[in-house]
Amino acid sequence: MTGFLLRRVLRALLTIFIVVLAAFLALRTTSDPAIVILGPDAPPAAVAAFHEAWGLDRPLWVQFGSYMSDLLQGQFGKSMLDGQDALSKVTARVAVTLQIMMPALLLGVVTGVGAGIVAALHRGRPLDRIVMLGAVSGFAVPGFVFGLVMVLIFAVNLQWLPSGGNDSWQAMIMPILTLATGWAAILARFTRSAMIEVLDQPYIRTGSAKGLIWREVVMRHALPNAAIPVITMIGFMVGGLLAGAVVIESVFSWPGIGQLIVSSVSSRDVAVVQCVLVLVATTMVVSNMIVDLLYGWLDPRMREAG
Amino acid sequence: MLHLPRRGFLAMAGASALAAPRLSFAQGARPRLTIAVQKLATSNALDPLIEQSNVGARIMNSYLECLIGQDYQGTLSPIPRLATAWRRIDDSTVELDLRQGVKFHNGDELTAEDVAFSFSSARMFGDTTPEGSDTTIRFNEERVTQRTKELPPQVPAVARRLWPSLVTVEAVDRHTVRFVNATPDVTIEGRIMAMGSQIISRRAFEEAESWLDFARQPIGTGPYKVASFTPDVELVLVPHEDYHGGRPPLEELRFVQVPEAAQRVNGVRAGQYDMACDLTPDQFATVTADPKLEIAGGIINNIRVTNFDKNDTALADPRVRQAMLHAVDRQLIVDQLWMGETVVPKGNQFLWYGDMYLDDWTAPSFDPKKSRELLQAAGYKGEPIPYRLLNDYYTLQVNTAQVMVEMWRQVGLNVEIEMKENWAQIWDPAGTRGVHDWSTGGSFPDPVATQPNQWGPQGQAVQTGEYHNDEVTRLCGVLQTSTDFAERKTAFRRLVTVLEYEDPAYGVINQNATFTAKAKSTPWTAAPSFAMDFRPTNWGA
Repeated sequence: MTGFLLRRVLRALLTIFIVVLAAFLALRTTSDPAIVILGPDAPPAAVAAFHEAWGLDRPLWVQFGSYMSDLLQGQFGKSMLDGQDALSKVTARVAVTLQIMMPALLLGVVTGVGAGIVAALHRGRPLDRIVMLGAVSGFAVPGFVFGLVMVLIFAVNLQWLPSGGNDSWQAMIMPILTLATGWAAILARFTRSAMIEVLDQPYIRTGSAKGLIWREVVMRHALPNAAIPVITMIGFMVGGLLAGAVVIESVFSWPGIGQLIVSSVSSRDVAVVQCVLVLVATTMVVSNMIVDLLYGWLDPRMREAG
Repeated sequence: MLHLPRRGFLAMAGASALAAPRLSFAQGARPRLTIAVQKLATSNALDPLIEQSNVGARIMNSYLECLIGQDYQGTLSPIPRLATAWRRIDDSTVELDLRQGVKFHNGDELTAEDVAFSFSSARMFGDTTPEGSDTTIRFNEERVTQRTKELPPQVPAVARRLWPSLVTVEAVDRHTVRFVNATPDVTIEGRIMAMGSQIISRRAFEEAESWLDFARQPIGTGPYKVASFTPDVELVLVPHEDYHGGRPPLEELRFVQVPEAAQRVNGVRAGQYDMACDLTPDQFATVTADPKLEIAGGIINNIRVTNFDKNDTALADPRVRQAMLHAVDRQLIVDQLWMGETVVPKGNQFLWYGDMYLDDWTAPSFDPKKSRELLQAAGYKGEPIPYRLLNDYYTLQVNTAQVMVEMWRQVGLNVEIEMKENWAQIWDPAGTRGVHDWSTGGSFPDPVATQPNQWGPQGQAVQTGEYHNDEVTRLCGVLQTSTDFAERKTAFRRLVTVLEYEDPAYGVINQNATFTAKAKSTPWTAAPSFAMDFRPTNWGA
C-alpha cells in the first residue's frame, strides 16, 4: 500500500510540475506582460523599469528557477497587474466558486446516481424511458443555453430570481441548478449502464436464487460493483470543481475563479494564472488519487494488482 | 403665552412622532442606482494614472475631478470645475484660480498644495524628466528623493505621455496655481481637463499604507466617494455630502460587472439593474419591447479607425493603402451593422476642436473602381495582408472586420484575419503586422490630443515602428508648439491630408457610440462621452 501511495504521489508531483512548466512557457513566450499591462505605447524606459521590477529582464530559465524556488516555499508571487498577493487573490475567488460548485455537485450526484439506479431497476419500462429522456436532454442541451432559458423564465418573465451576480442566496439557485442538471444527466446515464451490466451478472441471479431479498441484492451486491465507473466520473467532476464553471460563471455573472482565469490570461498576469493552475492541477490530481484509493477499497482485486 | 392642555400636547406629540420619519424620508429620499457594465476597470484600480481606459473614464468622473471640467450635457467644452478661472501668463505658463471651500472626501479643504502635489514626482512622474523641444530638462530632483511611495512603473509612463513637457506646478498662494511647461504649448488647458489630471488629497495619498491602497480608494473631490471596490465584481459609491456642486442626487451608486451583454439586458428587464451599459444596436428591440425601458446615449468623442503598418512589404506602396481606403463602404457599415445609430466622421477629428475643426473635410470616398486602378498601378499581386484582430474589444469589431475583409476581397485585396488575445500580440514586431483596429479619442479639444499622440515623433505608431513620415513629424511639431492659430490650422489640414490620403497611416471607419438601457423614469441624460455624469445638474433636470 505504501508503494502504491508513493507512486501515486510522485506521479501527482510530476503532473503538477509539467503543468506549471507548460503554463510558464506558454504565458511568457506569447506576450510580454510589460507591453500588455503598460500598453503598446509605453516609453522604453517604463518597459525597462517594469521588466526590472518583476525580474522579466533575466533569462527565462532563471525566472522559472526563481519561481519554482518561491513556489516550494509556498509563495505564489504577486499580481503584476495590481501588486496584490496572487494566492490571496485566487483563494478569495475559489471560495466564491465553491459556493455554487459544492451544492451543485452534491445535488448532481444524489439526483444523477438515484435516477440512474431507478432507471436500471425499471429497465425498459416507462419510468426508465422518462428518466433517460430527461438525462439525454440534460446532457444534450449546453449549460449556457439551459442557463439563459432559466434566466428568461425565472428572472425576466416571472421576476422570481435575480438574473445574475452574487448579491443574495437566491442568486445561487439558477447557477446551481444549471450545473447540477448537466452533472446529474451524465451520472444518470453512467449509473444506469453500470447497474444494468451488473444486474445481468450470474452472481446477482445467484443471490436472488439463494433467497436474498431484492433490496439486499441491489445494495450489497449490485451497487458496489456498479460504483467503479460512477466513482471515476465523480472523480473527474470533483477534479474540475475549480475550473469547471468558467462558462456558467460568465452566464450568471458569478464572480468566481472563472472570470479571474479569463482576465488574468488575457493580461498575462503570470503569477495569478500559475497560482490558479497549480490549485486546479492539485485538485485534479488529488481527486484522481482518491478515486484510485477508492477503487482499491471497492474492489480488493485492484488493490492486490496495484 | 401659549396655552397647551395635556391632551392637546400628547396629541401633537403623537402626530409629530408619526410625521417625523415621513418628513425626514421626504427630505432625505434619494434613489439607489445599480448599473451593469461589461468591465469595471482594466487595471483593477481606480486611479486615473493607471486606469487609462474607456471603462475607467465612465466611473472616474463620479469620484475624481479636474481643475477644468467638461460640459457633459453639451459638447464637452471646458467649464470651471475646481478652478473658477484661468489665464495665460505666457506661451508655456497657465495660471488658475482655485474654487474656495471645496472639500475632499476626507474633509480636508482643497488648496494649491494639493494641486501641486497631484502633479509632483511623488504622485505622478517618478524619476522621469520633462522633454524640452530639443533637450531633456532636469526635473526637481529634491522631490524625487522625498517620494513617500514607490510608484508602479505604469504611472510615470502614463503621466509623461499626458504631460511630456510639464516642468512643475507651483502654488502661487493658497488658492492660485501655475502650470509651467518646458515648451510653448497651446494645449496646457486641454491637458488640465484630461483623464490623469484629476486632483487628489495630498494627505490621503501620504497616509495610505501603499500605493495600491490609495489606488483602490482614491480621495478626491467628486460628488461621490468610494465605499467599497471589489475588482471585477463591483464598485460602490456613496454621496460626498460636502460636494461643492450641491447635494449628490443618489444615495448609492453601484457599478456591477456583468461581462455578458445579454445578461446585462436581462438584468434591466428583470428589474435587477437600473441601467445596462455597452449595448449593441441589435439589442435595442429587446430592450424597447418593454414599454418602461429606453435606450440612452449615442455618438461619443471617439472614432474607430484601421491602422496600417506601412513597413509591411505589401503596404509599403501608399497606393495599396489608398486602395484599401477607397474599397470600404463606410456608410453601409453604419447603416447595416450600427443600424444607422452612428455616422461616418469627417476624417479623424472632432467637433469640439471648435475653430480647428475642418468642416469641409471628408473621409476617402467609397470607389471600388479607383481601388482596382490603384492596385494595378502599384503592381499588387495578391500578397497576403494580415489583419490582427481582437475579439470584440470594440463594439461590433469582429463583424466590422469580416465585412471590410469581404469589401477588400471584392477589389482584389487579399486580407487575412488573425485572431489575437491582447494588444501586445497586435503590436508584436515579430512577423508581418499589416493592419489592425484602433480607436482615437480626444481627451481635450485640440488636434494635438489625436494625431501627434499617435503619429507624431513620440506617438505610438512611430514608437512601435509602424509609421514614420518626416513631414508628419514636422507638422506635429507645429501643432504642438505654435501659438499662431492660422499656422496651426494650415498645419492640421496638411497633416490629415498626408495621414488620410497621401501616405495613409489609418482610415476612419465610423464614429464610436455607446448605448445604455435604462428605465424611462430615470431622470438622467447620457453624455457624448464614455463618462457618466451623476452630478445634481444631470439628475431630474
